[in-house]
Amino acid sequence: MAVSGVLSQRTHVRRKAPRTFLRRLFRRQKPRLRLETGGDLLVHLNCLLFVHRLAEESRMNAFENKDGVIKKEHVLAAAKVILKKSRG
Amino acid sequence: MADTYNSDSEPTTRTLLRRVLDTADTRTPRRRRSARIGVQKARLEMPLSSPTKMNVSRRSQRARSIDRLARVQTSGHLDEQTPRTLLKNILLTAPESSIMMPEPVVKPVPTPQVVQSSRRKSSQGSLELQLPELEPPTTLALGLLAPGRRKQRLRLSAFQQGVDQGLPLSQEPHGNANASSLTSSLNLTFATPLQPQSVQRPGLARRPPTRRAVDVGAFLQDLRDTSLVSPDPGKQAQLLARKAKNVDAIAMSFPNKSSAISGEDGVDLLQDGIDEEAEERMEENLSVSEVMDTTGTQGSVRTENSKGYREMTEAVETNEPKGSSEDEDISDRRASPELASNTTQSPQARRPQFLEPAPPSSTAVLSSEPLSTRLPPRARAPGSRPRQDPHKTGLSHYVKFFSFCAKMPMEKKAVEMVEKCLDRYFQHLCDDLEAFAAHAGRKTVRPEDLELLMRRQGLVNDQVSLRVLVERHLPLEYRQLLIPCAFSGNSVFPAQ
Repeated sequence: MAVSGVLSQRTHVRRKAPRTFLRRLFRRQKPRLRLETGGDLLVHLNCLLFVHRLAEESRMNAFENKDGVIKKEHVLAAAKVILKKSRG
Repeated sequence: MADTYNSDSEPTTRTLLRRVLDTADTRTPRRRRSARIGVQKARLEMPLSSPTKMNVSRRSQRARSIDRLARVQTSGHLDEQTPRTLLKNILLTAPESSIMMPEPVVKPVPTPQVVQSSRRKSSQGSLELQLPELEPPTTLALGLLAPGRRKQRLRLSAFQQGVDQGLPLSQEPHGNANASSLTSSLNLTFATPLQPQSVQRPGLARRPPTRRAVDVGAFLQDLRDTSLVSPDPGKQAQLLARKAKNVDAIAMSFPNKSSAISGEDGVDLLQDGIDEEAEERMEENLSVSEVMDTTGTQGSVRTENSKGYREMTEAVETNEPKGSSEDEDISDRRASPELASNTTQSPQARRPQFLEPAPPSSTAVLSSEPLSTRLPPRARAPGSRPRQDPHKTGLSHYVKFFSFCAKMPMEKKAVEMVEKCLDRYFQHLCDDLEAFAAHAGRKTVRPEDLELLMRRQGLVNDQVSLRVLVERHLPLEYRQLLIPCAFSGNSVFPAQ
């Protein structure tokens, strides 16, 4: 029917999403719930965006302290802000 | 009706139709239909036009269009003909590239008939020893054969070599082909052994034959195993014995004699733990170890065993937990003395530690992998893997992405901090998704829940939709799975 019904076996996705890992996490956390096929890709997208924001924030923190290396405190402060934002 | 119509009006259309009908051969039903449709269209159009007073110019235009139709059809026929004829011509006139064709062999037969006898002799010689004997006849062959025939001969020679390997032949064409092989030998003197491979498997023609260095030590050991080992009741015993012998060989060949001795002790201790097969193995090991003493001093065996040792160590490190479990598996009676032996050996020097888990690890490698699933590992030996590992390896994907986005060097503590953040984030995520699904009265989390989550997070606005984010951040394969797209055949994937 469709041209590309399933990822053909030959195509190697360059930036792979750890789909089984995500599904296992979800199952461990919420054994009662189920996750749909497209859902875990969106979860991956969400994670990417979260990590992206976290990295930006911690980078800004490191710049503000005029530090060339990202340190634990920067990450911690950034995480506080971003986790609050992505609480939903 | 059609007849009356045909009898009527312009001769141009009639002639055109006749032409069409004549040219419409019994080729494809499509053509017939199209011809018929064209005819019918013309017929339909004309009676429509005839009652209405139309200009002659329009009729002529219609005639021209029909003419064009006819021409197109005829030209289509011609176009259809030419590729076919072209292909036929190609098949007939192309040089014979197939190796299996016996016909082209006939062509070179008449020309060099004079020298056949000499060539036969030389060809027979070439059958036995190709390389050294080819030199004198090649000069003859060169002078006599036309250079243009070389290509055919090359492939024929390859074919003939392949044939000669299978069948002994001394016929004329084969003689000629062998003669041709001489010419090819000039071009590819050292490639002749490779050609039969290419004949048999043309796909592998370019690959050099992968030749592994023969593990002489292992080979000798296997020989001795087969000679020494009496038919044991269990395969495991045989394998254990063999691998124990391998380990002994390694132990023997290893430069540190003390460690070797302790390794031997360790091996013996292990075998004492196993009741029934212990005695046999002890004897075998002693006998083989005596034999291997002599061979172990050889340099080649040493190097090979050292290589095998390295491989074994790698295998050991990966299979240690398995090995400990498999020991208990196989012995099946005394877990404790084995454990004790294991633990007593663990504080020993590293090398014997490598050596003594080697037999259980090797057994784990060979016979016990199916068994490992049956019995759960009782004791997590000191070499056990922490449970976090698969979790951390999964998270590392995102951690790497973090370090990529940050574009700055990071401390290790910062990396651990990121992992903690990710854990907490995943918890929040799952809770939110559960809440949304429960709100919708569902037990399955759907993409709509995800979209709602992202909307609440502020990632998805009225300005920025989810599809835009998907297109920005995900690779094509995932995009195709997420964003519905229309395909041919009136289908949309993924179905909405």
